[in-house]
Amino acid sequence: LSQTPGCSVGFLKILTPSLIFTSIYRRDFYKILGVSKSASVRDIKKAYRKLALQLHPDRNQDDPTAADKFADLGSAYEVLSDEEKRKQYDAYGEDGLKEGHHGSHNDIFSSFFGDFGFMFGGNRQGQQDRNIPRGNDIVLDLEVTLEEVYSGNFVEVVRNKPVAKEAPGKRKCNCRQEMRTTQLGPGRFQMSQEVVCDECPNIKLVNEERTLEVEIEQGVRDEMEYPFIGEGEPHIDGEPGDLRFRIKVMKHPVFERRGDDLYTNVTISLVEALVGFEMDITHLDGHKVHIVRDKITKPGARVWKKGEGLPNFDNNNIRGSLIVSFDVEFPETQLNDNQKEGVRAILKQASVQKVYNGLQGY
Amino acid sequence: MGFIYTLRVLIKSILVLILWSKCEGRESEFNYVTCGSLVKLLNTRHNVRLHSHDVKYGSGSGQQSVTGVESADDANSYWRIRGKPDGTCQRGVPIRCGQAVRITHMTTGRNLHTHHFSSPLSNNQEVSAFGENGEGDDLDVWRVQCDGSIWERDEAVRFKHVGTDAFLSVTGEQYGNPIQGQREVHGMSTANQNNYWKAMEGVFILPSQEPLRHHHEEL
Repeated sequence: LSQTPGCSVGFLKILTPSLIFTSIYRRDFYKILGVSKSASVRDIKKAYRKLALQLHPDRNQDDPTAADKFADLGSAYEVLSDEEKRKQYDAYGEDGLKEGHHGSHNDIFSSFFGDFGFMFGGNRQGQQDRNIPRGNDIVLDLEVTLEEVYSGNFVEVVRNKPVAKEAPGKRKCNCRQEMRTTQLGPGRFQMSQEVVCDECPNIKLVNEERTLEVEIEQGVRDEMEYPFIGEGEPHIDGEPGDLRFRIKVMKHPVFERRGDDLYTNVTISLVEALVGFEMDITHLDGHKVHIVRDKITKPGARVWKKGEGLPNFDNNNIRGSLIVSFDVEFPETQLNDNQKEGVRAILKQASVQKVYNGLQGY
Repeated sequence: MGFIYTLRVLIKSILVLILWSKCEGRESEFNYVTCGSLVKLLNTRHNVRLHSHDVKYGSGSGQQSVTGVESADDANSYWRIRGKPDGTCQRGVPIRCGQAVRITHMTTGRNLHTHHFSSPLSNNQEVSAFGENGEGDDLDVWRVQCDGSIWERDEAVRFKHVGTDAFLSVTGEQYGNPIQGQREVHGMSTANQNNYWKAMEGVFILPSQEPLRHHHEEL
């Protein structure tokens, strides 16, 4: 079967043995991605994205096995991210997969990072030296919920963009103003400005479409950006600009974020404040945070729950705290004289009536 | 001998064709305009894209001008489709026909807006870009009018202003310098061929799954 142009069917790569990944149809795709057999599609995407940046051959120029590891990673993602292929793989192993891998790994990589995403980390290195004109950048505000910040998520988008393609004929390019000297007669010259252009191959713009995957990483902060290199607007004489997703974390009806900590308020009854109570707070991913109070809870009291905040962006294993502030709801109905006596008898609290300036901290 | 050769070439070509079509990379089947998406809007009658820039009208309200441009690769032609300020538009959910939206200019953060001022060239209703950082006022809201139930990307739709009932339109009048060749965009009260717009280039957000609801991972 001949190789199809633009579609790498990595047969040769499969034949090359390497240290970590076993050869010829025996690769453990789960191990390559570092995920468990029960991993969700989201976990798989997340693992691919993290490893792809690390293992890209351009980043590992000293490693002779880099290209193989990278190809294995692409194959692993291609199989495990597709429901059908994953089922076949789980049942029959790599041998059981249908002939050949049809997607080019470049396609998969660029759906996470953009066409030029191999310029890792979003930096266009060497760009300044070459002075190549660049198309405009596109910035898209991506609204995310606090639930997504807590658990992470992937957003698929379809990017329809104009792409510069060669067309028959020539066009004018690099047009500039030049001074021309024309001779009017012996010893008489005239200087005039003229527009002078070069000839370049003709370009037309064709709309192309592809899917991109944006990861909402756990703990992501407001205004953080995820660039997709080369997915912005084209430039007829140069390179396309970038597409950047700017994260905008939306307000939440229950939780307020401060850094990695979460704040919430709970209103309890006066009875509960005095005699104690037990309650559950439903967290962003559905799990319950249990709170037990057997002492008196004053208005403004805070309960500090360590580890119940948001995961830290740089290290997901570190979590902030959940701080619960209590306020007390007093009964609506007025007390009659008997009840008032009863309250005085039970509480046995002397009259206080302290007068002070509360707004200045006295 | 010649027949078998031709047959082999034919089979090889068919196989190449099948493999090649699979190698195109995933074609998108998602055909709707969704909340939060970034689009360029093409006026189908005059073939220009809705556009704005940091140039103010010299008459009328003096607010930022909105025009129609011929080029297809200008980042100043991108607009974001958002819900009304009350937040009823969820990211990735397709926009329904009849739904009220705000259309926010990507590079300047101002909303597509119209009001009772005259447009400079044709004396129709002036359409401007208004507000800061996506926040303007009640006259920023437009209703998407289309046949069917959802705003499809292939479909030409109309935008009817909530408040003045004007349709977003182009009738072909052209500006001179400094925005040479750009067309006037204005509001007009009648529905006709001039007020059809189609979503072209852009970034279309697909609906997401809910983030996983699961118990705490082992810490």
